[in-house]
Amino acid sequence: MKYALFLGCAIPIKYPGFEAATRLVCQRLGIELVDLPFSCCPPPTSMKLVHYDSWLALAARNLCLAEEAGLDVMTLCSGCVNTLKEANRTLKQSESKKRRVNKILEEHNHRFKGTIDVTHILDVLYQDTIVERLIKETVRDLPMRIGCHYGCHYFRPPGIMYPGELSDAESYVPVQMDHLLSIIGMEPMEYSRKFLCCGSPLGANADQDAGYAITQTKLQYMRDRDIEALSVICPSCFEQFDMGQIVLGRKTKEKYKIPTFFLTQLLGLAMGLSAKEVGVDVHRIKARKLLDGIGIG
Amino acid sequence: MKEKAEIREQLQAPDSRDLRIGVYVCHCGKNIGGTVDCVKVAEHARDLPGVVLAKDSLYTCSEPGQEQIKADIKEQKLNRVVVASCTPRLHEPTFRAACEAAGLNPYLLEMANIREHCSWVHLHDKEAATEKAKDLVSMAVSRAARLAPQVELTVPVTRKAMVIGGGVAGIQAALDMADAGYHVYLVERSGSIGGRMAQLDKTFPTMDCSICILAPKMSEVGRHPNIELLTLSEVKSVSGYIGNFNVEVLKKARYVSKECTSCGDCIQVCPQLAPDEFNAGLSIRHAIYIPFAQAVPSTFLIDMGQCLNNQGIVACDRCFQACSHKCIDFSQRDQIIEIEVGTIVVATGVDVYDPTALTELGYGKFPNVITTLEFERLINAGGPSSGELIRPSDRRRPSKVAFLQCIGSRSKRSNPYCSNVCCMNTIKDALLIREHWPETEIYVFYIDIRAFGKGFEDLFRRARREGVIFIRGIPGEIIEDINTGDVTLLGENTLLGEQYRYSMDMVILSVGIKPRRDSEDIQRLLNLSTDTDGFYMEAHPKLRPVDTTTGGVFLAGAAEGPKDIKDSVTQASAAASRANILMSRGEVRVPALTSRIDPDKCTACGLCARVCPYHAIQGSKEQGYYRVIEAACQGCGACVPECRFEAIDQTHFTEAQIVSQIDSVLANDPHEKIVAFACNWCSYAGADFAGVSRLQYPHNVRIIRTMCSARVSPAWIERALLKGVGAVLVSGCHPADCHYNNANQNTARRVERFWKRMERIGINKDRLRLAWVSAAEGAQFARVIEEMEAGLQKLSPRQISQDAEKLRKSLVKKSETT
Amino acid sequence: MTTIKLWKFFAREDLYECYQCARCTGSCPAMEVAPAFGPRETILKCLNVGHEKVVQDERIWLCCTCNVCEDRCPQKIPISDLLVALRNSAARRGNIPGRLVMAIELLAKTGRSMIVHQLDEMRAHHGLAPLPPAPVEEIRAILEKTGLREVVEF
Repeated sequence: MKYALFLGCAIPIKYPGFEAATRLVCQRLGIELVDLPFSCCPPPTSMKLVHYDSWLALAARNLCLAEEAGLDVMTLCSGCVNTLKEANRTLKQSESKKRRVNKILEEHNHRFKGTIDVTHILDVLYQDTIVERLIKETVRDLPMRIGCHYGCHYFRPPGIMYPGELSDAESYVPVQMDHLLSIIGMEPMEYSRKFLCCGSPLGANADQDAGYAITQTKLQYMRDRDIEALSVICPSCFEQFDMGQIVLGRKTKEKYKIPTFFLTQLLGLAMGLSAKEVGVDVHRIKARKLLDGIGIG
Repeated sequence: MKEKAEIREQLQAPDSRDLRIGVYVCHCGKNIGGTVDCVKVAEHARDLPGVVLAKDSLYTCSEPGQEQIKADIKEQKLNRVVVASCTPRLHEPTFRAACEAAGLNPYLLEMANIREHCSWVHLHDKEAATEKAKDLVSMAVSRAARLAPQVELTVPVTRKAMVIGGGVAGIQAALDMADAGYHVYLVERSGSIGGRMAQLDKTFPTMDCSICILAPKMSEVGRHPNIELLTLSEVKSVSGYIGNFNVEVLKKARYVSKECTSCGDCIQVCPQLAPDEFNAGLSIRHAIYIPFAQAVPSTFLIDMGQCLNNQGIVACDRCFQACSHKCIDFSQRDQIIEIEVGTIVVATGVDVYDPTALTELGYGKFPNVITTLEFERLINAGGPSSGELIRPSDRRRPSKVAFLQCIGSRSKRSNPYCSNVCCMNTIKDALLIREHWPETEIYVFYIDIRAFGKGFEDLFRRARREGVIFIRGIPGEIIEDINTGDVTLLGENTLLGEQYRYSMDMVILSVGIKPRRDSEDIQRLLNLSTDTDGFYMEAHPKLRPVDTTTGGVFLAGAAEGPKDIKDSVTQASAAASRANILMSRGEVRVPALTSRIDPDKCTACGLCARVCPYHAIQGSKEQGYYRVIEAACQGCGACVPECRFEAIDQTHFTEAQIVSQIDSVLANDPHEKIVAFACNWCSYAGADFAGVSRLQYPHNVRIIRTMCSARVSPAWIERALLKGVGAVLVSGCHPADCHYNNANQNTARRVERFWKRMERIGINKDRLRLAWVSAAEGAQFARVIEEMEAGLQKLSPRQISQDAEKLRKSLVKKSETT
Repeated sequence: MTTIKLWKFFAREDLYECYQCARCTGSCPAMEVAPAFGPRETILKCLNVGHEKVVQDERIWLCCTCNVCEDRCPQKIPISDLLVALRNSAARRGNIPGRLVMAIELLAKTGRSMIVHQLDEMRAHHGLAPLPPAPVEEIRAILEKTGLREVVEF
C-alpha cells in the first residue's frame, strides 16, 4: 500500500507532531508514504470562496503531481481532502473545466488526466487489511471516554465526498473514527451535536469570538457526557479545540481541560510509542495527567 | 377450424369499387374560415378519387350541419364521410352518431383536423394554411377510402366483484356493490378489516371517534349476505379481462376456527410475545391474539412466526388446552382459492413514512421523539396507555409537546409530494391534547398549513384560538438531554427572522404517507400504471378519476394518491358505482380497435405476444398460430410492427390506411414536409393544445394519428424516407405516462434501432426525431417542430434524394443476401 | 473590475426549488452565534431582490462552510455551490473580509497558508527533516494566469 502523502500547510508547519506520529504509525501498519513537492491544497474555506478558478488550478497542480508519480493521494486534513476530492471529481466530470485548467498547467509541464483518487488517512486506516494489522500492532489499550470530532469538510457534502454511498433519504453519518478507537480500547462516546462544526472557518474568516462560541457549544456537550479526551482528524479543528480552550478559559473563566489528540497520535500511543514520539508534549491542553492515569508516562 | 374461418372473414378487405365519399369542410365561424379558404378546400376535395360531393358549411357540428350529412348519406348514397373541422378528440363521437343515425357504420367516418392542427397554428399565413388544409383533406379522403365497417365486440360481465384491501375505502366499495345486489369478495391481508382508520383515535375536522364510526361498517361487512370476507389473504395471480377475471387468492391458515367467541382465555396461557403492530409497536401481544377489540372477523389467530409450533410439530398446546370451545386447530393449512369476478376494486391503501433516515431528528434514538401514528395509539383509550398522554422514556405526562410537519413529505430526500392529511391531523391531535390536558403547551412547527377542505379552516382557527402555537420553520436539529429525556429543538422562526431553541418533553413527527411497500405486486398483476410517486394512475386525472387503463379495474382510497377518510369513502363509492354500471348492464362493448392475426400468415413465432402489454395475444407453436383475445386487447397496436410476416394488423388503424396517408402527404414536394406520427392520448392532444394556445409553428408538418406511438412501424419511416420526406417525427407519451402500460418503450427501442440503421447506411440521423410530448405540452410540440424545421433548412433536396437512394440500395442489398 | 457569471456556477432554476422550510438555517452554526442570514434568506433575497443586493452585504461571509445546510435541504439544492458563487462575486466587488485578503496574499506569496517561523528547530524536535521550500514561482505564475489579481493583489 503506497500513497502520496499530502501534508497540507498546518501540519508540517504548526503541528509537526502529527506528521511524526503519522509517519511512524503508517510505517508500522505497512503504509508506504511518498513525499512530493505539493503546494497548499488550497483551502475550501478561503481560496475557493474568493476565487474559484485559482482554487481549481492550484488543486489541479497538486493532483497532477500525484498522477505523474502514479499514486493516489492521502491527506491528513479535512480541508485538504475536501478540496482535492472535489477538484478531482469536477475535473474528471467537466471537459471544459479540464481544458481551461490544462491550458494553464501545460506551461509548467503538467496535464490533468484524471487517473488517481484522493482519500483521507481515516479512510485508509479503516480498510479491513489495515484494521487487522492495527489489532496486531496494538500493545496497550487506552481506556478513556473519548469524543470523536469529524471535521465537516471530511464528509460534507456527502454527494461529493462519498458519492454513490447514500440513498437520497439519508444523511451521511461517519463512524470510522469511533470504530478505530474502540479497537485500541477506548470508549467512544456519543454526545449531542457530534457533527457540529468546530467553528474554525468562521473564526478565521470573519469573527473569532463567534467561532469560539461554537467551539464552546461543542465542549459543553462533551462535558455533559464526561468525555475525557477528544480525537480529531484535521489540524484546523485541532487548533480550534486546543487553542480554543485556552482562549475560552481566559474569556469566560470556563476551564474545560479536554485534551485533544490527532487520531494517529492515539494509534501511536496504543502501538507503544511514547508521548514525546507522537508529539503530544507540545499541546496546549496537557494530556499528562490523563495519560499518567492509564499508565502511559 | 371454425375459429379460423371466422377470423378470416373479419379480415376481408372492404369493397372499394363503389366508393361514394362525401366531404364536409367546416368554417367553424371564423376559427377556420378566417384563415383557411374553405371554399377552395372543398373545391380541391371534389376532384379527389371517390369523392362524390364536397361542401363547406359554417358550423358542421350544428344541428343543420349534422342533418345535412344525414340527408346526403341517404339521398346521395354516401358510403364514406369525411369531416374537415376540429380535432376528432372533440367531435368524432358527434359525427359518428350522425352517421349511425343515417344508417352508415360509424367507423366509416374520417376527420381532418384543420382547426387545432392548421388554422389556429398558422394564423398569419393564409395561403400556406389553405394548402395544408387541402393536404389534410387529401390524407383523410385516402384513408376514408380504406376504412371498413366495424362491429364493436360485446363481452359478458360476470356479476361478481373483488375488492382488494379492507380499509375504509375497501369496506365502503364492498358495501356499495353488495347493497346493489352483487356478490363481493373482500380480500384483506391482515387478520382484520379496518385498515389505517381503525388505528386512528379521532377524525378531522369533526372530531368523531374513528373506531366508533368505523366499527358499525365493519360489522356490516361481516354479516352482509353478499360479502365473502377473506382475511389473512393475498391476491397471487390475475388472468382474464374486463368482465371475466380469474383471480387466485392465497388464504393463509388462521389456526383458530370460526367458532371462536374471542373470550381471551388462550391469551392468558400463551408464552410467546411479539410487538403489537396495531399499536405501532408501542405494546406487546401474544402469539395467539386478536388484532384489536373491534376486529372483524372477531376470531383470534395464531402468528405462526411467533408460535412455538412453527416447525410443524406441536411443542406447546397451552392455548388448545385453555380453549373451552376447542377452536384451536394446528392442522389448518394455507390454501389457494380460485375466484371468478367481473370487476375489481383496488383499495390497498398506504404505508406510513419511516423517519429513521432523517438522523438529525433522532427518531429511533431518542425515545421521546415519536410519529403521529404512534401518538394516535398513545392517546387512544384502547391503546397501550389506555388513553393517558404519556411520553415513552419515563411514562410521565409531557407538559410541552411539539409537532413537526412535512416529515417525509415535499422532499427530494423522501416523498416529493404533499401527503395531504398531515396538517389537519396535527391540528386535530393538538386540539385533542388541549381538550384533555389543557395545561399542556403545544407547538406546531410548519412550513405551510394546508387547510383546504370543508371545515378545515375552522379547525385551524380553533387551534389558534385555543392557544396552540404555530411557528413557521422546521427545526434543523433535535438534541436530547440524556439525563431527563427532554429534547431541544433548534431552528429558525422564519417569520420573525430569529433563531429559536425550544426545550420540549415530547416531539411528534407528522409523518407522510406513501404507496404500500409491495404496491408493485398488485400493479404487475393487474397491469396498472403508477405515477412518478408510485401511486396507481387513474385513466384520466379529471374525467375518469377512479378508472384505470385496465378495463374493469377501479381505484379507491389512498392507493391512488394521499387522501383523507372522506375522500377515500367518496372515491370508494365512485369506484363501486363504476363497477356497478358494468355489472348491472351485464355486458360491455369494446371499441373496434383491436389487433387481428391472420392465422394463415402467422408462423407462431410469438414475438407479438411478447410485446403485448395486456397478455392479450395467446397461442403456441403446437396450435400453429397465435390469436388476439379481443376483449383483453386495448388497441395500442404495439404488436403490429413486431410481426415480420405481415400476419397481424390493427382494426381501424390498418397498415393500408396509414400508408395511404403517408403516400398522400408525400405526393407533392415531399422534401419540404415533416411527417409527424402522434399518439392519440398525449402527443396528438399536445398538438391540439398548441392549437388551442394559438402557438405558431412551421406549416410543413402533417400529423398522422395512431392510438399509441408503439403502433408506428419502422416500415412507415422507411417508406417516408424512400419517398423523399424532409423529416419524420415519432411522438408519444412520456415514458412513465403511456396509456398502454409502457407500450411506448417499444417505440423508443424501434426508433433507436432505426437510428443505428440510418447511421450504418450514412443517412443524417437528425431527420428522424423521437419526442415525448404530453397533452399539456403544446409549447414543447411547437418547439420540436421548429427545431426540426431549422434542421430541415440545412438540407438540400439533393441530399434528401441521395439519402433515399442510399436507403433503396441498402434494401436491395438486404434482399439479395436473404 | 470584472464580474462573474453567477449562474454558470449554480443553476438558477434550483433557487425555485426552495420553499423556505428553514431546515438549513435551523441547523446553521454561524446563525447561532453571529448575525449571519443563512441560506434560506440568501435564496429568498436572490429571488425577491436580486443577487446583486446579496453580494453587497458583508454578512455573506459569516459562514462556517460546514455544508450542513446542503445536507439538511429536503429539496437537494446545491447550497454550497450557490454560496461559493455568491462569495466569488462579492469578492470581485471588493466585499471581502480583511483577514481573508491577508490569507490569500500569504498563499500567493509563499505557496502555503501558514507563516513559516523557526520551523526547522521545531520539526527537529519531533525528529523530522526540514520542510522543502514551496514551489513559489510556479504557484505565482499559475495564479497570474487564473486571474487572482482581479480580486487580491499579490
